[in-house]
Amino acid sequence: MNFDWNVIWTHRGALWDGALMTVGLTVLTMLLAVPGGIFLALMRLSSNKLLSSASLAFVEFFRNLPLILVIYWAFYVMPIAFDVQFSALTTALVALVLNVSAYNAETFRAGINSIRKGQMEAALAMGMSRRQAMFKVVIPQAARRILPVLASTWISLFKDTSLVSVIAVSELAYTSMQIRAQTFRVLEMLTAMAAIYWLMGYPQAKLVDWIHKKYGVKE
Amino acid sequence: MDVDFSPIIENWRFFAGGLGITVLLSVISAATSILAGLVIALLRLYGPRWLSVALVFYVDTMRAIPILVVLVWIYFAFPLLAGVTFPPFWAALVGLTLHIAAYASEIIRAGIESIRPGQTRAGLALGMSRAQILRKIILPQATIRMLPAFGSVLTMAIKDTAIATVIAVPELMHRAETVAGQSYRPVEVFTTVMVLYFLVLFPVTRVVDRMYQKLAHLGRS
Repeated sequence: MNFDWNVIWTHRGALWDGALMTVGLTVLTMLLAVPGGIFLALMRLSSNKLLSSASLAFVEFFRNLPLILVIYWAFYVMPIAFDVQFSALTTALVALVLNVSAYNAETFRAGINSIRKGQMEAALAMGMSRRQAMFKVVIPQAARRILPVLASTWISLFKDTSLVSVIAVSELAYTSMQIRAQTFRVLEMLTAMAAIYWLMGYPQAKLVDWIHKKYGVKE
Repeated sequence: MDVDFSPIIENWRFFAGGLGITVLLSVISAATSILAGLVIALLRLYGPRWLSVALVFYVDTMRAIPILVVLVWIYFAFPLLAGVTFPPFWAALVGLTLHIAAYASEIIRAGIESIRPGQTRAGLALGMSRAQILRKIILPQATIRMLPAFGSVLTMAIKDTAIATVIAVPELMHRAETVAGQSYRPVEVFTTVMVLYFLVLFPVTRVVDRMYQKLAHLGRS
């Protein structure tokens, strides 16, 4: 059997664009899903029963579905529900943001709840307003606990962007598999795809470990 | 818009079969992943140094590469290299196990390391061998602590089997695509399948959450 590894070099431009799209999707999704998660967490913690059950239902629903199914569903249902044709990229972004927001909401909620009640009470007793107590006492401490979890979610998201290849968003996985189909260089292209993901993902995994070590909570 | 669920009702056996394969594949791959994870964790903790370096590299690699890429590589690329072909189900089982075992090994390692070293020293002082200490003192306590996390491995496996659709494993997700394509009723089909997945996953995550609450204090030493 002969392999032709030149195929990777000749298609370097497309692979580069695919890798950029993967990174772009990850960054954009996280930028939208962090506010989304905060919003859902605040809804969940509010004293309004309706808001908190709506947030709970949303979070439980999207945490209990395979992401690939949410992507397909968004692809077929969004155009009918809104009567507009969305680009594959928009659809992918919506599906990813829905999924990651649900996870982020749990992260923020757990982070805020992990700060003992006594601290809030102590701050109030010292004459701080509820707002001051939240922003000066609770959130700075919660942030340290939230950061490592967000970092783990980030790397899952980075990998999950590969799933949007099923609706033809030209990120790294889709691009590689397209080149494979055009050139019939199956082993070369699939190995290149895995190698590029590895090159991008491995340092991120190590960085996440470092963040966990630096900020992780020791019990 | 008109709604027509008849393609789903007509094909209910087809969907039920797909659901069966989803459950079978996820239960088997969760079990093989936990077994493989146990071996990896023990070799990392008690094995020779070079082996533990290699295993760390393997675990971090699996954390860096998407499961989709692992599945596609094993199904399409590996046969070209090795000259043997797997049926999709077995390729999916191998790919899922390779991927999930890396996560399971981290859970098990953390569980074993959470048992205080004083207990090992006490065991040694009583004249027990290292293997006896592992079997009689460490693993029984660690297993209770790890039980809820094993449940999380199962939910992870159920969600990941849906990705095996890309290598044409005839599980629920793949059958949904087939019926959606033939009947031109993707909205109804994918919505139904969404409900089915939710009905499978939700009770599992509920039980896992309950276990976290109920068992948390048992493992404390």
